Amino acid sequence: MDYRLAKGVDLHIIPTKQFKMTHILIDFATPQTTTNATARNLLANLLETSTHLYPTQTALARQMAKLYGTFTSIGVGRIGQLHTVRLRSSFINDQLAQKELFTQIIELINQILFHPLIDDGEFDSPTFRLQVNNLASTITALYDDKQFYANQQLLKLYYADDSVMKIPSFGRKMDLNYCTPGSLVETYQQMINQDKVDIFVLGDVDPEKASAIIGRLPFKDREIELPQPPFYFQKSHENVVTRKEQQQVNQAKLDLGYHLPIYYRDPLYPAALVFNGLFGGTPYSKLFTNVREKAGLAYYASSRLAPFSGLINVQTGIQSADYQTASTMIQQQVDELQNGNFTAELMCEVQDALINQHYAGFDLANNILEHRLVNQLLSLPEQVDFAEQVKRVTRDDVMKVASMLKLQASYLLSGEK
Amino acid sequence: MNKEFYEEFNQPVYRQLLDNGLSLQVVPMTGYHKTYAIFTTDFGSIDNHFVPYDKREAIKVPDGIAHFLEHKMFEKADHDAFDLFGKLGADSNAFTSFTQTSYLFSTTSHVHESLDVLLDFVQDPYFTAETVKKEQGIIGQEIKMYDDDASWRLYLGILGNLYPHDPMHIDIAGTVDSISKITPEYLMETYKTFYQPSNMNLILAGNVDPNETLDWVVSNQSRRQFLPATQPERLFNLNDPTAHDVIPFRSLTMDVARPKVIVGLRGIEMPEDGHERLHYKLAIDLLLDVLFDDTSDNYLRLYNNEILDDSFAYNLEMQRDFYFAYFSSDTDQMERFADEVIAILESANQQIDAARTRFNGIKNAEIGRLIGLLDSPEAVANHYAGKLFDGANLMDEIRELRSIGLNDLYDVAKRFIVSQGISVFQIIPQHR
Repeated sequence: MDYRLAKGVDLHIIPTKQFKMTHILIDFATPQTTTNATARNLLANLLETSTHLYPTQTALARQMAKLYGTFTSIGVGRIGQLHTVRLRSSFINDQLAQKELFTQIIELINQILFHPLIDDGEFDSPTFRLQVNNLASTITALYDDKQFYANQQLLKLYYADDSVMKIPSFGRKMDLNYCTPGSLVETYQQMINQDKVDIFVLGDVDPEKASAIIGRLPFKDREIELPQPPFYFQKSHENVVTRKEQQQVNQAKLDLGYHLPIYYRDPLYPAALVFNGLFGGTPYSKLFTNVREKAGLAYYASSRLAPFSGLINVQTGIQSADYQTASTMIQQQVDELQNGNFTAELMCEVQDALINQHYAGFDLANNILEHRLVNQLLSLPEQVDFAEQVKRVTRDDVMKVASMLKLQASYLLSGEK
Repeated sequence: MNKEFYEEFNQPVYRQLLDNGLSLQVVPMTGYHKTYAIFTTDFGSIDNHFVPYDKREAIKVPDGIAHFLEHKMFEKADHDAFDLFGKLGADSNAFTSFTQTSYLFSTTSHVHESLDVLLDFVQDPYFTAETVKKEQGIIGQEIKMYDDDASWRLYLGILGNLYPHDPMHIDIAGTVDSISKITPEYLMETYKTFYQPSNMNLILAGNVDPNETLDWVVSNQSRRQFLPATQPERLFNLNDPTAHDVIPFRSLTMDVARPKVIVGLRGIEMPEDGHERLHYKLAIDLLLDVLFDDTSDNYLRLYNNEILDDSFAYNLEMQRDFYFAYFSSDTDQMERFADEVIAILESANQQIDAARTRFNGIKNAEIGRLIGLLDSPEAVANHYAGKLFDGANLMDEIRELRSIGLNDLYDVAKRFIVSQGISVFQIIPQHR
């Protein structure tokens, strides 16, 4: 059930008795720019730390504990070119709590979003300094997760030089230097007054009652036109950008980025899903069975489709000495798929696995919300025939997708020279 | 099947002990699409010293054999069980911990066939010298992969301090050296000892019908011959039950950007009775929340002084024969962090005194968190810890939690926080 709370602010209520928890997602979307990702991530951290009424994180945490430990947090993400700030809240339903928890949670959200710890046009300065330091530390520590680090480096290589996509949704340490307690208030004002806002409620709630309560949140009308579709497009190029880096690691990581201009819900999108399943997206895939299992070249080897930004990336953990062999072998898997060198049986397994995942996703509250949000931001209706579409994919479709794949970037993190 | 209805959660649980000793539980969840099944043996990486099935003399098997066995179970003479699940459109997986090995699948169709595949592959061992050799290469890579994982090294580092002469200090996967000593004979002896139905349990949760499931399982098991059940005899003795062998401090240098520190606290006294153990464990959980959760003044002070940050985590792990708590964070003030955590632990009584007004909130938050798990078939099934907690499931646990009062915390603090059980491990960034 959909309600319009203000211009550019939409509420979507999904009543269900399946879950014992109620989930709320409030999404703020705006196109990503070179400067806003870092500032918005810092803002998310500031907002979830304290408010005027709960001026320390302890005060805020105590209030949440009183509400049966509601888990309310704010994070950032990206869908294509859109940068999103997301407030998520989950809490046990009123029947189990035996009190009006829902109303109290909305009041808490009201405090967090509309009464942040801002005085005289600035965020509280000790809180600000601490959160800047924390965010800097968090970004620094990403270096310590080598698998994640390697993938970030690959994406940096993949995206064109002038692309905002080079900047991850969580921002950059260097950009924190440009954030001040005053500038963050502007970031806040922009988000709260100008972003496209979508609010989702999933759980055992009465839609009319719930919408009346949420309707009290003081959102204002806003003029915002999100790009449609908000996908990220990049032209492919002939040369492959290669980079090798050394660190003290035991196992090397080889990551590859392929251009694949097929986007979410495009006519070829189901075929791209099946292709990815055959390539490296499932345990039955070519990468997993041939590169990992048969050749024993890698402990992990997988591919991931990024359907909002038109790329497929491959992640592997290998021995440095096997760099050439592994690179060649990964490309061979693409060639094999291009040539239709896969059994009908394997394809059917991948299709069944995708359909299984799709239905299993209905048991995960966060998955349901994520799907709804994506469709909302893309102005697409809910997809009701996913299984049929996946089943209709033919061998030719998969070969066609494989032939569109173009290697653009290769990154190696290794321990040896 | 025996039905128990948990009124407050509107949730039934069905149980049945099969003739061959296998314990079956079914938790049907209304509205769910997925069926999740997990088949667990009470056998993990620390069980490396035991009397093999039908033998008299105890043997020591190479470290990492439980995990190795888990990998090898999937592979058969002419097929891989993994592929059978694949053909059915089901997801399957397996994992090994210190004290258990589990095999699982989840699916939204062909439940009966998938269940047969699960039971069949786990109950049909097949090991050859050749396949064992190949697996040694694969697992060797896996072990190396974890060597680069700083958080795993931190965790293993503190275990090495807390249990320097016990099997818990060794990686669940073993070492490259230890797994090279694994043979098909070792695998078979281990299998026969610990994979008896009477040492295993099967749980299904989600979209599942109890009576139909029982029929399927009974019919599957009747097609198979089992050796007479015996109680596996483990020779597990802590090197020093009083924990005087704890190494107080070690550090490791790694190519990381931020220093990481972990404080460990090894438990010494272990309640004999499973129900008491659950009570004791839940009370310690609440105690740790009182001392360290984000509603505590301690947390705010350490956070504001940048002694810890958002990476701060603490947890209590209790498994058969041992338990410990840990407190970890990325921090530039590693010594200070350890000193502060230890000081808080050692002043637990005053901290509990000061927490009177917060206690109900803390308890409610813990209850809310556990209720949240009831929305996941995986969590509902995986949470079951068998004999360790006297067969308690998630809902029993929530009921038990409700019964704990602030005064219980003084008692568990006294029993759990013992100074010789405390240790610190650091990961120091290498200068590049």
